[in-house]
Amino acid sequence: MEALALLQDVFDILLGFGLLWLAWLALFSLDLFRSIVSFISFGLLMAIIWVRLDAPDVALAEAAIGAGLTGALFLAAFAKLQPASVNGKGSSINPQKQSSRKQLLRWLPALIMLWIASGLTIAILALPPHATGLTSEVTSNLTASGVSNPVTAVLLNFRGYDTLLEIVVLLLALLAVWSIGSSVPSIESEPGPVLDTLSRLLVPILIMVSAYLLWVGAHAPGGAFQAGAVLGAAGVLLVLSGWKLYPGLEGFPLRLVLTAGSITFVVIAILTMLVSGTFMQFPPAQASILILILEMVATLSIGVTLAALFIGSPPTDIKKL
Amino acid sequence: MQTLYFALALFLLLNLFAGMWRILKGPTAADRMLAAQLFGTTSVGVLLLLAQASANTVLHDVALVFSLLAALTSVAFVRRAWLSKE
Repeated sequence: MEALALLQDVFDILLGFGLLWLAWLALFSLDLFRSIVSFISFGLLMAIIWVRLDAPDVALAEAAIGAGLTGALFLAAFAKLQPASVNGKGSSINPQKQSSRKQLLRWLPALIMLWIASGLTIAILALPPHATGLTSEVTSNLTASGVSNPVTAVLLNFRGYDTLLEIVVLLLALLAVWSIGSSVPSIESEPGPVLDTLSRLLVPILIMVSAYLLWVGAHAPGGAFQAGAVLGAAGVLLVLSGWKLYPGLEGFPLRLVLTAGSITFVVIAILTMLVSGTFMQFPPAQASILILILEMVATLSIGVTLAALFIGSPPTDIKKL
Repeated sequence: MQTLYFALALFLLLNLFAGMWRILKGPTAADRMLAAQLFGTTSVGVLLLLAQASANTVLHDVALVFSLLAALTSVAFVRRAWLSKE
């Protein structure tokens, strides 16, 4: 038994050091590509650490979003940065003026970070030494939530507006990316037979796993965000193998799917307010089916939003170029 | 049995540290990306060992998502980042 405890300790300590080292590499590498690879590896180690901390829900989200999709997003952004950085080196006029402004711009985030860090420190110091948390409250109300996984109960029922706001944040991110626009048309070569076969094999599996995660979220770790991320991965893979949306679907239908998650959320919230008198209070009898509808639509919206973020510009714009 | 699982997981973790050295040294982008792929594959192994050790089947799902999405980063690398580098 002692050997096991020792092994576990060594394992955890090594994990912790590895995570710190990768975080350092990701933040302070001069080579941008090295930072990206460090960040992807950081996400993988972080997911293992969440598992060791007994939080498989977070590990699943970290695996899907942190390690998988963010990595792909960073790589695509890196590719778009390449020509720009070559030009930037040659055409930087007035380095003096830029550097003084940059200095100021450097201090501002530092001050904000300091402010947040001190606030967090105060908050942590003010915590009671032995907090019971809300676990007992959640478990005692779990039967009324419509699901048996406490994490899903909190995210979709007890604190549903958190999830609503998260979906809106994703949508805002996409709006920001779309309004910045990218004038760099990605030159795509024909996908080879390997990629062709891979996407044909992998995309159906990804869609199936996404549906599985969505369904299993009711009683075990899983749920809309993890399912949406896996669905988004399927979309990204399709885009990378040269798949294009049917021209007729690029305008309004795409926007409808993108916003469907938030719209359904708000509509259900208002309906429940009319029925039960409180914003977003699901009646216990219908909670299960309401959560399922919400999660299905949210998964679809999240998946399509993530894939659209990867493309980086509205599909109607690409046609114009 | 648990001790064996953890010993094996520790061994795989040490492999990851060898991968970290490759991320640090490079020299080419493909070397670094392959190190990240090693991270993905090895993490799947670690997760499955931890799942056996703690008899927690949920970790199988995490390992499944890991292995599915590891392919995505390598495809994104080959299709986007690599071509632009050459």
